[in-house]
Amino acid sequence: MSTNHIVENLKREIENFSVQIKVEKVGKVLELFDGIAKVSGLSDIKSSEMVTFPNGETGVALNLEEDAVGVIILGSFDKIKEGDEVKATGRILEIPVSDNILGRAINAIGVPIDGKGAIKAGKDGLKTYPIEKVAPGVITRLSVDQPVATGIKVIDAIIPVGRGQRELIIGDRQTGKTAIAVDAILNQKGQNMICVYVSIGQKDSKLRKIEARLEEGGAMEYTVIVSAGASEAASLAYIAPYTGVSVAEYFMDQGKDVLIIYDDLSKHAVAYREISLLLRRPPGREAYPGDVFYLHSRLLERACRRNEKYGGGSITAFPIIETQAGDISAYIPTNVISITDGQIFLETDLFYKGIRPAVNVGSSVSRVGATAQIKAMKKVAGTLKLDLAQFRELEAFSQFGSDLDENTKRQLERGKRAVEVLKQLQYAPVKTEHQVVTLYALTKGFMDDIAIEKIKEFEAGLTEYSERNAKVFYKQIAEKKMWDDKGEEELKKVIADFKNTFK
Amino acid sequence: MTAISNNNIARAIYLAFKDKSHADQPVFLKNVVNFLARKRLLSKAPDILERLNKIINEDKGVVTAKVWSPEKLSEATNKEIAQILARRYSGKEIDLEESPDEKLIGGYKIEVNDEVIDLTIKNRIAKLQEYLIKN
Repeated sequence: MSTNHIVENLKREIENFSVQIKVEKVGKVLELFDGIAKVSGLSDIKSSEMVTFPNGETGVALNLEEDAVGVIILGSFDKIKEGDEVKATGRILEIPVSDNILGRAINAIGVPIDGKGAIKAGKDGLKTYPIEKVAPGVITRLSVDQPVATGIKVIDAIIPVGRGQRELIIGDRQTGKTAIAVDAILNQKGQNMICVYVSIGQKDSKLRKIEARLEEGGAMEYTVIVSAGASEAASLAYIAPYTGVSVAEYFMDQGKDVLIIYDDLSKHAVAYREISLLLRRPPGREAYPGDVFYLHSRLLERACRRNEKYGGGSITAFPIIETQAGDISAYIPTNVISITDGQIFLETDLFYKGIRPAVNVGSSVSRVGATAQIKAMKKVAGTLKLDLAQFRELEAFSQFGSDLDENTKRQLERGKRAVEVLKQLQYAPVKTEHQVVTLYALTKGFMDDIAIEKIKEFEAGLTEYSERNAKVFYKQIAEKKMWDDKGEEELKKVIADFKNTFK
Repeated sequence: MTAISNNNIARAIYLAFKDKSHADQPVFLKNVVNFLARKRLLSKAPDILERLNKIINEDKGVVTAKVWSPEKLSEATNKEIAQILARRYSGKEIDLEESPDEKLIGGYKIEVNDEVIDLTIKNRIAKLQEYLIKN
């Protein structure tokens, strides 16, 4: 493009440009402290309406008082002065979205932070979505019955998650909460799922690592990252999850299934507490404001599965909560446990025992549960659950002595193998059909005479061998989601054959 | 906790004052000052006075407008502004307060209470900049 051409273009644009001068509502900054501005004037302003400051920063009106408005500033506030003119925009806080947002990293107000330029209009143009929206109503919803394959054996078998479900991941620091979430995203390749990863108050280095991992696994093609880092203002951490779910809603409105991860909501609650205290709202338990329950319930209620009549699509949410020293009865954990449809409970003790993912199978539940499992998985998982429950009960006994009857011994050995099978490395998701084969071999007793140290090796060998030799079985799982007698016979034979070659 | 705001106090003073006869007014004013002193509100007196002024203006239909422009506006423009404002705010009396501002380049900017009508060149240029970046 030559310079003349650019100048011509500019001239044309300028000629076409017409200003519409409107009456604007303004106010003046009275006070400014820690990211909060008290603003006079601004009559008729709406709650959570956007305002603009002279240096281009935006703010959100949160506290509407008799003769002042409490505004949280989204961004840096070091250039805002007392007496600055604040303009009301008449718009509720919103973010720009288009199909081109996939593969991008944005901040809490929808501005790209990955250095790849502005988000351009997609084939549906550039839309704006308000970040606060009322969750879909009862009539528009559908019950959850489609599985989300996380690729993590212990979750897919024992704590199954369905599309549209809200499953909490809870545990102490360093127990692998984010690892589960990242694994789940990595496993969504080719599963017809869009993923949104919301990072709240996380270290930028950690986010960078996650992004690099997703990029490496080819997961960024269907993933959007929304980030409010630890160095950013609390106001951004407060709105980040709502921004994330708005992006998710954009894709759900196209009838797509979306998986959203909030990492983590404890930091979100802390950010909101900070804002609330600065706005001088009265503190309650643990100094959180009275509406901290509503803060999370209105967010998580936006996860849903919509019926076809209302456009279809679903949002599955994986909120993450970090507990302090395993205390799940603290304020925020209990709140979020009661909002969600189940929890995956991770424990430090298990983690250091080498059981990774460190899921405590006893305390973890999925309230939607087996309706979101394929039939074959339901069949093998039922027996597995029983095996594990009996194992936990007997494990305590077994420490007292060795003279146990045959039956008990057998159950103990089975349990040990079940625990071993459920161990899994990070970034190594397992396909559903492979999970079914492994768990079938375990629950039908094919692994009972394999040494525990050799279980992992046996599992790896078996999946490879069976995929080559049990074609009928695999086909049935892929098409009918269940095996029949013919498939089962074949699989049994294949497992027996493999065992003969395995030493 | 519902504290009585300065606005409430100013309104109360105005409403009470309106009903008093000429003879009672000086006594009433003295009472007001005593009241403020007793309640330790004298430090807030300037704010209360300002609000009182606003309430009186509102009641009497006086609209105070601030006008900024780079150069002094002509009589005709002033009159026109006053007319428009009288219509818009249904005021009986328009009180124009002019102040110069070189940075506006051209045009003028009117402010009434918390509403601004910005007809300056500076605003137009800012809008043009926004438009060119977006498209």
